[in-house]
Amino acid sequence: MPRLPSLTLIVGFTIAATAQAADNDGLSLPPGFHATVVHEGVGFARHIAIRDNGDLYVATRQPPFVREDPSKNVGIVALRDTNADGKADVVEHFSEVRGTGLQFYKGMLYASNDVAVYRFRFKADELVPKAAPETVIEGFVQERQHADKPFAFDDNGHIYVNVGAPANACQEKDRTPGSPGQRPCPLLERYGGIWQFNAEKTEQSQVADGTRYATGLRNAVALEWNSKADALFVVMHGRDQLDTLWPQLFTAEDNAGRVAEEMHAIRQGGDYGWPYTYFDVKRSIRMLGPEYGGDGKTPAEPGRYPDPLVAFPAHWAPNDIIFYEGSAFPESYRGGAFIAFHGSWNRAPLPQAGYKVVFVPFKDGKPSGEWQVFANHFVSDPLQDNSPANAERRPVGLAVAADGSLYITDSVNGRIWRVTYAGT
Amino acid sequence: MTTRMRALIRVLLFAGLVTLSGCASHPENPLMVVDGEAAYRANCLACHQADGRGVPYFQPPLVDGPWVMGEPQALAAFVLTGGFNSGERKEGPNDNVMPAFTYLDDATLAAVLTYVRARFGNNAGPVTPEVVKQTRRHLRASGAASEAPHESQ
Repeated sequence: MPRLPSLTLIVGFTIAATAQAADNDGLSLPPGFHATVVHEGVGFARHIAIRDNGDLYVATRQPPFVREDPSKNVGIVALRDTNADGKADVVEHFSEVRGTGLQFYKGMLYASNDVAVYRFRFKADELVPKAAPETVIEGFVQERQHADKPFAFDDNGHIYVNVGAPANACQEKDRTPGSPGQRPCPLLERYGGIWQFNAEKTEQSQVADGTRYATGLRNAVALEWNSKADALFVVMHGRDQLDTLWPQLFTAEDNAGRVAEEMHAIRQGGDYGWPYTYFDVKRSIRMLGPEYGGDGKTPAEPGRYPDPLVAFPAHWAPNDIIFYEGSAFPESYRGGAFIAFHGSWNRAPLPQAGYKVVFVPFKDGKPSGEWQVFANHFVSDPLQDNSPANAERRPVGLAVAADGSLYITDSVNGRIWRVTYAGT
Repeated sequence: MTTRMRALIRVLLFAGLVTLSGCASHPENPLMVVDGEAAYRANCLACHQADGRGVPYFQPPLVDGPWVMGEPQALAAFVLTGGFNSGERKEGPNDNVMPAFTYLDDATLAAVLTYVRARFGNNAGPVTPEVVKQTRRHLRASGAASEAPHESQ
């Protein structure tokens, strides 16, 4: 029976690996980290915010016509763990605000939809705020593409709102093969940048009260203030469809391999190059976009636009960033950035990728090492039929609790995980 | 049936292009002229994916959809005008806009629509180049596709 020992070995290894995976709800994490499910699924989850008392709030974009359970047909989910077992046992839904942005600021919960930012005041320990929301900022144009209005706060009383561009590359005809780019791109007047507002003033509007803080950002769903750097950090969704729009110039491999998802430390007044350019991950150089005369070989004007601090792989869809200021994780994580990548659709026919949470070590407010995968295997590998519709889970929102644990939301079913560190 | 579909069919009915019986004869097989699968790969797959299931909330699935499985003329008109039509879909609204595929010639558009109607579990009949040609002409005449009305080669 010469084959029996190896068979036993394989079976034993498989059982061990499965047990380890099951421990983390199927996610893989670095040694010593552990993931537990806080809630099995709250719906179409987006960003997550944690109140000082530990209550969790999750923004959703639950479509209004999913009417099986009308009580769940509202935008913000509130979760409380009353018996400290790590599971949310009280779950409430409130507000018609359906969107992505959600964050606490001075005890108030700020939440955005496509056209406005609102805030909710809480009384004592109420889980669901009874008071009607106040409008902080309104007047964003209703769009569909890149319409979310995620936001961040600085340390000096400002809120920064991402206004994504309702276009791929500002072509005369969006996403139409051969259609030239508009120059100057008229969308940049109201979109494709970060707008700065007073964080506390109500009834502001984009045009009357907003300052275009930075431009040339196609869609920066992931944005967060870094106090050490005293700067707003963003991770931008790079442009799509190099090959299908410009088949004479680009292959599917170019499209799937070249256009970076760019991390920048924003400076006021900065221009980051969309739609005129894209950053080529493989060449590590900014290129002229094909809509503006680029041919895949011509670099952009040197020095005109900043290079990214980190160039992530194409189409991974960075949807949230948070700097880890807790003390529960090992020293190497302090001050570093966790980034939730929602995962690609525009890499087809090549394998989809990027359904994971990534970590970037920071020192003194700057990236200090290579990025590394932190949480992985949200989806089966390979993704069944290479179809995003088959993605089992897609990470989308991040928050760090007062105890230093990291919370991750999933957009497919709205699963919520809590990641803790117990040591190796 | 969506508002937009009704509107397009009304326009086409007026032009005598839609019989509403859904039994218009299709004498020629467009697949003999153009490879519908290759045309799908070149023009549709990036968004609607290899399995035709689209991307949730971004691009709608092509499986059993009211446009894909509906009147050939209405489908041709929709693809020639592009835009959104997802507000009433059960999967929910989709963020991304479809370009107007006026730049595809009649045979290619017919082949790719025929391919989509017969794949991904769909079982609707073919769309002929003649239907695409008539629809294109009518849309151009009515101004609905006046911006880039590529005539068939």
